[in-house]
Amino acid sequence: MITIPVFIGIIINIIKPKSLPWVAEPILLIKNQNDLSAILSEPEIREIGLSVAFNLHNDGTLFVDAREEEYIKEGFITGAIYDDDIEVLAAKIDTLVGLDRPFVIYCSDDDCGSSEDLAYNLQDWGFMNILVFKGGWKMWTESGYQVQENE
Amino acid sequence: MNKIHPVIVLCMRVVLGIVFLVASYQKILDPQQFAREISNYHFIPLGLENVVAIILPWIEVFIGLGLILGIMIDGSSLISGVLLIMFNLLVIQAMIRGFNIECGCGLKEGQMVGWQKLMENMTLLITSYIIFNQKNRSFQLSPKTSLSE
Repeated sequence: MITIPVFIGIIINIIKPKSLPWVAEPILLIKNQNDLSAILSEPEIREIGLSVAFNLHNDGTLFVDAREEEYIKEGFITGAIYDDDIEVLAAKIDTLVGLDRPFVIYCSDDDCGSSEDLAYNLQDWGFMNILVFKGGWKMWTESGYQVQENE
Repeated sequence: MNKIHPVIVLCMRVVLGIVFLVASYQKILDPQQFAREISNYHFIPLGLENVVAIILPWIEVFIGLGLILGIMIDGSSLISGVLLIMFNLLVIQAMIRGFNIECGCGLKEGQMVGWQKLMENMTLLITSYIIFNQKNRSFQLSPKTSLSE
C-alpha cells in the first residue's frame, strides 16, 4: 500500500524534466550589500537581513509586501507596494524597476513563508534578482524603522 | 461500534477518497510549492521536505483510489487516519509556535493553519475511523475480507 506510491513518486521525480532535488537547499543569505551589485546571468532569489534591508530601503530599492490584505491594513514599510493579483503586481514591479534590478519582498516575520512563495511566483514571471527580507514586518517595526499607515 | 448502513459507509469512502485525490492534485503538479509549504512548518529537518513533497501526494492518490474503488479499504483508511493525525500535530505545533502560514493541504488556496483546519482534519479523521471499523461493506473489489476477519 505504501511501497507502490513511494516507488511511483521517486520514478516520476527522476524522469520528469524539472525534477525536485532530494534535499532542499536553503536560500543564500547575503550579508554584504556590495554582493548585490553584480549582474546575474541566472534568476536568483536571495535572503537579506535587517541591516541590508534598511540600507536598500534608504537607497530607494522597491519593497513588496507579501502579506494578506487584512495585515496590510495595519500599515506597511514606507513605499512598499502590494497586490493580491500576481499579474497586476508583476506589471507594477516591471514598470517600477524592470526585470533585472533587485527588489525586496517581505511578509510578517521569519516564519510566515509567503514572501518566499511570492518570490518564486514572481521569478516565474521573469524577475531575475529577488531579495527576501525574512525578518519582515515584525523585525522592521520592532527596530523602529519607518512605516506607512494605511489610509 | 454500532453498525452503519453499508451505503452510508460507501458515501463516506467516496467523499474521503475525493478529498485525498483533490488534495494530491496540486501537490503533484507543483511539488516545489508543496515543499516550501512543508518547510514553512519548520518541523522537518535537513531539507528533507523535498522527499516528503515527492512521495506524500502519491500516497494520497493511492488512499483516494483505494477508498473509492474499494481496494485495500482497511489499509487505505488506516493510513489516511495516520496521515490525518500527523497533519493535525503539525497544525497544532504551528499554532502553538504562532506561525501565520498557509496549511499547504492542497484543498483551498490560501487556507491558513488554525482551528478551522484542525476541525476539518478531525472530521476526516473520524470518517477514516468509521470506515476502518465498519466491516460490512458494499462495493469492495479487493480484498474481499477485512484484516480483522
